[in-house]
Amino acid sequence: MPETRPQSGLTLEDLRPREPEKKKFSDRFMPRRNNTILFDPAKCTGCGTCEMICSTRNVANVAPASASVKVLSDEKLGKNFAVLCQHCRRPLCLEACPTRAIEKGDDGIVRINDLFCVDCGLCTMACPEAAPLKDPGTGEIHKCDLCEGDPLCVKHCPEGALTTTRGNAFRWIKAARWSVQALSFLFLVILVVGTFCYFRAGTVELACPTGTLQNIASSGTLILVGASSALALLILTVLFGRVFCGWVCPFGFVLDLVDKITPKKLGWPNFLKSRMAKYGILGGAVGSSAVLGYQAFCTVCPIGTLCRSYGVQSVMQSAELAIVPALAATEIAERRSWCRYLCPVGATLGIASLLRLLKIVIGARKCKKFSCIQCAEVCPVGIINADELREGVSPKIPMTECIMCLRCVDRCPYNAAKVRFRWQKSTPGEANA
Amino acid sequence: MKPRHDRIEEAKKLSGAPGCVECGRCVAACPMAEMYANFGIEMSPRGIIKKTLVGDDVVADRNIWYCTECNSGTDVCPQGVSCRDLIRKLREAAIEENVVENAKRCEACGRFFLAVPVEDFVFGRLKAEPANVLKALETCPSCRREIYLLRNA
Repeated sequence: MPETRPQSGLTLEDLRPREPEKKKFSDRFMPRRNNTILFDPAKCTGCGTCEMICSTRNVANVAPASASVKVLSDEKLGKNFAVLCQHCRRPLCLEACPTRAIEKGDDGIVRINDLFCVDCGLCTMACPEAAPLKDPGTGEIHKCDLCEGDPLCVKHCPEGALTTTRGNAFRWIKAARWSVQALSFLFLVILVVGTFCYFRAGTVELACPTGTLQNIASSGTLILVGASSALALLILTVLFGRVFCGWVCPFGFVLDLVDKITPKKLGWPNFLKSRMAKYGILGGAVGSSAVLGYQAFCTVCPIGTLCRSYGVQSVMQSAELAIVPALAATEIAERRSWCRYLCPVGATLGIASLLRLLKIVIGARKCKKFSCIQCAEVCPVGIINADELREGVSPKIPMTECIMCLRCVDRCPYNAAKVRFRWQKSTPGEANA
Repeated sequence: MKPRHDRIEEAKKLSGAPGCVECGRCVAACPMAEMYANFGIEMSPRGIIKKTLVGDDVVADRNIWYCTECNSGTDVCPQGVSCRDLIRKLREAAIEENVVENAKRCEACGRFFLAVPVEDFVFGRLKAEPANVLKALETCPSCRREIYLLRNA
């Protein structure tokens, strides 16, 4: 039977950008990306060459007002800024167009079909970036179509303020992170029993910092040997932030795997969302250890349970293993719910990361903000504020919550998300960055 | 201030409205048919032209505020009547006479930049968007750019 489709009238669903139905495995690591224009305000001199060259394509005449790019200059501040179509991932102009003349192609370019366009200008009203669309002279709509992939404005910009990018060709951070996570899972859980909580090989001693805190509380004495072995992870956290949570933690690896099979998230009610809860649990764990005299939390800790209960163990410990699927099930509500709200190990590392050396910045100059928001989507702990991005502000990232998985750095097509030392003030793309 | 009658005469002269032969091509081309469920003769370009010609009180009429000021009616008109220019002039007259309950002011600069029914249509289409994005759409495009410039440059 042939595919039945209404013969007349496109629906909005036909025009909206669609995700490809089946992703190839190579797409996960080497995504096919579209050309996009980047603008660097630090280099722009406001000369208007881009306007002129763009207008020759629009109206076959040098008439800067008819261009699809507009250079704004603030004389008082001495700042210049070019406004142009960002080819949003979910274009508002497409939704607002009454004649459904706007569509987003598979190559990511948002185009206007001249057959349907009646120059009504509602797209201008719906564009949050106020990209120039309506020609004030003739009243016609001219929209940037990236010159079909090879923009004239970029070619002719004398200062190099406009550039095109296709982003990273290979997601090597993603490949590296999954390998490190799988290897550490293999090592911590399968090869050696009980490794995360306590590990000794010759003179090298490593211990879980939260376990050590509880140990100190329960025994009432400061065991310097145990404390120094716990320092290894704390020092790693001070140097790089909570990399343990993002790259090493075996339970985090389980959560990331469960996330792959539960792509739809239900969400928690707001009153349960308290990131401070994990510090409360940490205090409770240490306090209960002091009262009970043994490490009470460690018996239910999913990270420790994973490490300890594998292999030929007592029935008691096998029963403990049930805590792992129970907590992994929280993944259906939000990604890494355990790490966000509950994990006391993460809380200890979070306190240690107050002294961290690194930070993640999302640079205002390169970030395309409203039109992209991919970093907020991929962040597993949800600390990148999509609302700030929508308002056109670069978000501040609370680094005590960040698990340094670097998904945002890997995903950003414009190289705006970067790892920086905490004392560095410059954001990516600035002249002296 | 010019009397209302003079303003309407000027609008008629500028748009060529007296040449209308009521063929209805502008109604066929008008995107308002797609936009409003209650699209009818009252708000259609032909209806507005007729009302103007017979001397109705079009300036105070809400129906002149549905138009998107596109040019499709003029493009197809055999007589070259510009319904857009007519409606623009009528709206100008309405704003001069302070009949502005259907005109939308920019939140930032306070100028009129859109008609309320048109804005309702746009916001109806965009109702799935987050509130802070819609708030940015309450300002006129030049103010949006100005805000964007100050924030990012």
